[in-house]
Amino acid sequence: MDSTIKDFEAAIAELETIVKKLEDGDLPLEKSLEMYERGVQLSRFCHTRLEDAEKRIEILNERGDLRPAGAIFSKDDDRK
Amino acid sequence: MSSLFDLPFDDPEATSKPANEPEVRERTSTSAARRVVFSVSDLTAGIRGLLETEYSDVWVEGEISNCRLWNTGHLYFTLKDPGAQLKAVMFKSQVRSLKFKPEDGLHVIVRGRLSVYDPKGEYQIVCDQVEPHGLGALQLAFDQLKRRLQAEGLFDAARKRPLPSLPRKIGIVTSLDGAAIRDIIKVLGRRYPNAHIVIRPTRVQGEGAAAEIARGLSEIVTLPGIDVVIVGRGGGSIEDLWAFNEEIVARAIVASPVPVISAVGHEVDVTIADFAADVRAPTPSAAAEIVVSRKEDFCSHIERLSERLTGAVRGSIARLESRVHQMNRRPGFAGWPARLALRGRHTAETTHALRHAAQAGITKRLRVYQNLRLQLEQFDLRRRLGGVRARLVGVDGTLRAAAQHRRHLEEKRLQGCAARLETLSPLAVLGRGYAVVWNESRTKVIRRALDVKPGDRVRVTLSEGELGCTVEDTN
Repeated sequence: MDSTIKDFEAAIAELETIVKKLEDGDLPLEKSLEMYERGVQLSRFCHTRLEDAEKRIEILNERGDLRPAGAIFSKDDDRK
Repeated sequence: MSSLFDLPFDDPEATSKPANEPEVRERTSTSAARRVVFSVSDLTAGIRGLLETEYSDVWVEGEISNCRLWNTGHLYFTLKDPGAQLKAVMFKSQVRSLKFKPEDGLHVIVRGRLSVYDPKGEYQIVCDQVEPHGLGALQLAFDQLKRRLQAEGLFDAARKRPLPSLPRKIGIVTSLDGAAIRDIIKVLGRRYPNAHIVIRPTRVQGEGAAAEIARGLSEIVTLPGIDVVIVGRGGGSIEDLWAFNEEIVARAIVASPVPVISAVGHEVDVTIADFAADVRAPTPSAAAEIVVSRKEDFCSHIERLSERLTGAVRGSIARLESRVHQMNRRPGFAGWPARLALRGRHTAETTHALRHAAQAGITKRLRVYQNLRLQLEQFDLRRRLGGVRARLVGVDGTLRAAAQHRRHLEEKRLQGCAARLETLSPLAVLGRGYAVVWNESRTKVIRRALDVKPGDRVRVTLSEGELGCTVEDTN
């Protein structure tokens, strides 16, 4: 998504810093808008990652092959 | 004393075999005449035969001492009690199946057969089984391994790693047939619908299960994106859960580059794997719930931060708004109409300029605000930030209303000024018959006769129209 964001932990840490700075106030308008923009970018990054993933169950066998678990658990899914 | 000597004669064996006695007596009595000489080997072989037949399967209880495991894999030790010692050996194949480690001072019960080691003329017991006296073998093994790994620092709190907030992939090492995998998937399916799960199936009980679990664990962590691994199984007897008490599993857990959650059996079952794991979950479902709650904490943390972010920007807007108000209230700004009234000239132009300036000021501020609003709108938060948009629109309305209100005030005030200026205008008195005399260039009002000389041109402003005149004399 954005190469300037390393991972969630980094994103949330940066977002925390930004929010704190904005809450402290005393920033010039331009600067605070700039930070707000970055903050929105970070929070969007987190949300996107939160929601984009798709439910997937895979099986890693002894030969190192990865395949979808598919049928093995579909019965349980139906029962739920 | 006498009873001691009598003892052999009370032995039922002795009296039950009267047929043997004559033969023995005969041999004894004739020993001098018919000497039977054994070779050492023959005698030893004879003794061995007797011992191995008579004691082919015995149980012996005693304390282990001089315990040594040889390079060959065989285990040698001495069993002793206060009155005697017995040499013992356990061969490699049996040693391997021992759950615990025999060590000096351990009180054990041994099962085996007696044998004689001819070259040394020593007899010894060849052990098939060794089990601790009192304490179960498994419990002892557990205690021993726990103590050893603890001393190595494998269970240190400092080794424990925090779980990821949002694992890209969740690894699970367990049996596909057990209740554990079903429980885990049920919890994740319900509360973490988009989880990406990778399962590495292994046996979880029986011979070789521990090695399979250790291998599965070491393999699954090499997959890209695996950020946490759950290893475990459903409930069972201590024997069923035993694989999770094996050293190889504990070491695989410690060696994992990503955090490992152990989830073995029920709440009451505590295994070596639990001590080695970064987090111990009481059950497999609980392990899944731990992963889920990390994710949910993360989500609500993001929500809170997003709200604070927009809140902070709203604060900035509010501060800007109050600056606009303050500017309007400044004396320099507010004093303009009074100063205008004092100036007699160019009233209309100045008034116009003021109105223009005031409007430009308001327009400029409105533009700043519009820009701000535009920039805010560009961040499409509708999906995630919900109510924030509505709040911003609210602020928008408030600001716009404030700006409009301010503009109305300014306009009214300007109109008032214009009216007052109108009444104060010197031109108004001309209607009553007065005239104003200007110098020729119409830059100065002539108030005194001394200000002009005969022959000077002056201009006279009447109520209607203007005269050009020449001064004839001055008095």
